[in-house]
Amino acid sequence: MNLSGYYPESINEGPGIRAVLFISGCRHACPGCFSPHTWSFRAGVPLDLDKQRELLEDMRENPLLQGVTLCGGDPFYSAEELTPFVAEIRRSLPHFDVWSYTGFTFEQLQEREEMRALLQLCDVIIDGRFVEEQKDLTLLYRGSSNQRILDVRASLAHGKAVSAPGFI
Amino acid sequence: MSIEESILQEAALVRLAESIIDVHDEDHARENANLNGESFSGKMSKLGSEFSKWYAKNVIMPKALVEAVDSNYVYVHDLDQYVLGTTNCIFIPFGKLLERGFNTGNGSVRPPNSITTAMALVAIIFQSQQNAQYGGVSANKLDWDLAPYINKSFRKHFRKALLVLQENAPYLSDDQLVFSNKGLQDTCPESYQHARKQTIEETNQAAEALIHNLNTMSSRAGGQIPFTSINYGTCTSEEGRLVIDALLNATIKGLGNGETPVFPIQIFKCKKGVNQAPEDPNYELFLKSIECSSKRLYPNFANIDAPINLAYYNPEDPDTEFATMGCRTRVIGDRFGRNRLSGKGNLSFNTINLVKLGIENGIALGKRQVADEAGFYTALEKCLDIAMMGLIHRYNIQAAQQAKASDFMMREGVWEGGEKLAATDSVADLLKHGSLSIGFIGIAECMKAMYGKHHAEDAEVHERALAMVRFMRSYCDAKAEEHDLNITLFATPAEGLSGKFTKIDRQTYGVIEGVTDRDYYTNSYHVPVYYHLKAAKKIQLEAPFHEPCNAGAISYIELDGNARNNQLAFLRIVQFALANDVSYFSVNHPIDRCPVCGYEGIIGSVCPNCNASEERHAFRRLRRVTGYLTGDYQTRFNMAKVAEVKDRVKHL
Repeated sequence: MNLSGYYPESINEGPGIRAVLFISGCRHACPGCFSPHTWSFRAGVPLDLDKQRELLEDMRENPLLQGVTLCGGDPFYSAEELTPFVAEIRRSLPHFDVWSYTGFTFEQLQEREEMRALLQLCDVIIDGRFVEEQKDLTLLYRGSSNQRILDVRASLAHGKAVSAPGFI
Repeated sequence: MSIEESILQEAALVRLAESIIDVHDEDHARENANLNGESFSGKMSKLGSEFSKWYAKNVIMPKALVEAVDSNYVYVHDLDQYVLGTTNCIFIPFGKLLERGFNTGNGSVRPPNSITTAMALVAIIFQSQQNAQYGGVSANKLDWDLAPYINKSFRKHFRKALLVLQENAPYLSDDQLVFSNKGLQDTCPESYQHARKQTIEETNQAAEALIHNLNTMSSRAGGQIPFTSINYGTCTSEEGRLVIDALLNATIKGLGNGETPVFPIQIFKCKKGVNQAPEDPNYELFLKSIECSSKRLYPNFANIDAPINLAYYNPEDPDTEFATMGCRTRVIGDRFGRNRLSGKGNLSFNTINLVKLGIENGIALGKRQVADEAGFYTALEKCLDIAMMGLIHRYNIQAAQQAKASDFMMREGVWEGGEKLAATDSVADLLKHGSLSIGFIGIAECMKAMYGKHHAEDAEVHERALAMVRFMRSYCDAKAEEHDLNITLFATPAEGLSGKFTKIDRQTYGVIEGVTDRDYYTNSYHVPVYYHLKAAKKIQLEAPFHEPCNAGAISYIELDGNARNNQLAFLRIVQFALANDVSYFSVNHPIDRCPVCGYEGIIGSVCPNCNASEERHAFRRLRRVTGYLTGDYQTRFNMAKVAEVKDRVKHL
């Protein structure tokens, strides 16, 4: 698993001030993607245990952070490897909330065991591919209007996609 | 003067006039982002001011001061006003002026009987005052000052409603007929509801008119709009809260086409127990101020809880609440007992070029391995002495002026006690309540020149930077005792100055990496705008500098992104700065505006809303300089400031 980018703090990928991790690798290949350089699973640097510890420390010592957002690539293509790291973030930074972007839909994510495990560690996902015909840069946190901002716990409880409060 | 000399001087004056009229030097014309040096009135004003500067330097100022200015050690701000004895800025006692009425010189104005009139008069008072000085005019507690006029409007609306709705009412005194008296709901429910609604509407209208007025009166020499600032946030009465709410609504709404108002600078005064926690009475207004600032860059945030400000705070007297002159000027303490804000201000300030001293005594030129700190402090003290001498010399000119020279300011008692003076009395005994300040620029470049690292790169260098600022503060304190005047240390807002020092130092010493290699010097003690670091770290590094700078300081965070979409982040940053005892704080973020569809936010080369392109439509890009906003930074900023804005890294 590789990391193709890291924003120590950002205001553009979810509410509050958030760290943003760009997990390399994506096979959705959406036309018009803003970061095709992150499609390769070999892009960036290895996100090994040392790197994970370093990132964790960096997030821990920033008093302004409210949470972390997983970007990509598509983090869910690396779900199996990524899950232990996200679990570790949740364990050692209990005040953090976790958001994730994904090109899969909420419905698709539930079909695969390893993706479901990662999904359960997230508070909110922004799901769906980027569809160029539906591109709208004025949308909050999204690139095209098919994408949804979903409350993961509520969605899992109801067995269907539920919008995060305030993002209907 | 020999004949040759006088011919040379005449030729110099002719060249000066030509350069102003034909705008030979764009930077010169844009020295001040608020003044259009390419307009007729701007040029007219320049002709006067350039001659005034020439006269000051050649005839009036002490030789040692002129030498220090010419050799780039010291900068005398607003030099064109030196010979006249004009003073800098003031907090206007609006409450007092409105309560008893005033005279503008051409006619007298009665006390207002409604909030509409009161807010209209606020603009008129600002306008009448601003030509008596050269700096900013500020309202330090506009919510408290205007609250009584809410009730005047409410009474009118209520009495009219009683008549029209024919509700039966018992006798109601003026004291009972107030906006906050909810008991009226029981006695005359319909009239009460009607009057309340009308009062709220009227206040919002009045606030909109005030914001428009303060952006449209180009009444200052050179077609400038007066530098107005308004502080508010702590008045917890229903009436005061309505004033605050209406001002924020009007600002969020923007000007005619929804543009961000450039004036007035707005400052929200933050106080624990009043507006900082969900259980505080004005917390919702604080949240609204965050929303407003995320959309309009104002308000900024003044921290009454910072120890330097809390020391003066008396909950019974809002005039003791820390407020700012907008750009950052702070005037509270007075060795003659007026430890409150309104009715006084700063008189003048001179700024020291710390970078030049750093270059001469540091390792930058490769002449030594270790910085010569003893040499540095000797040279610094010499500069401080000259700057101080200049302030006193200028103060003596200011103090010798007759009351009538500052006209409205003294006659109407805007400067406290002025109303007691006869037109020909000297103002000396009143001006002593004002402050004289020594400012500084370029701590960052100075540290780089001295030690090879600036104060954000190395903890030890940070200690030294702080020690240097504390040294200057101690100097000011000692001189205050010696001269028995209010002498304070200022984190200079360096607009025209930021490029001037640099240009000359580069000619003298060449391009030195991290020192003279940019077109500007870093403002006061700020971490360089080009240096990447986290927002929390920047706040923590800059916070300790606020305490020694008792003439005022401001810290900024640069946000990368559309701040209006993430007010939670905005709130977090502001409260973190306040908790770290930053005295005065603001968040910078880009506001671009599409002239075609009115979209505001971040615009690249194409408007994300309507696809208008940069080539065909000039996007308006609003940025902040020296604490003031300016319409479009690419046409109104001077070169040094354009360079500085382009270099700004976003902290997050």
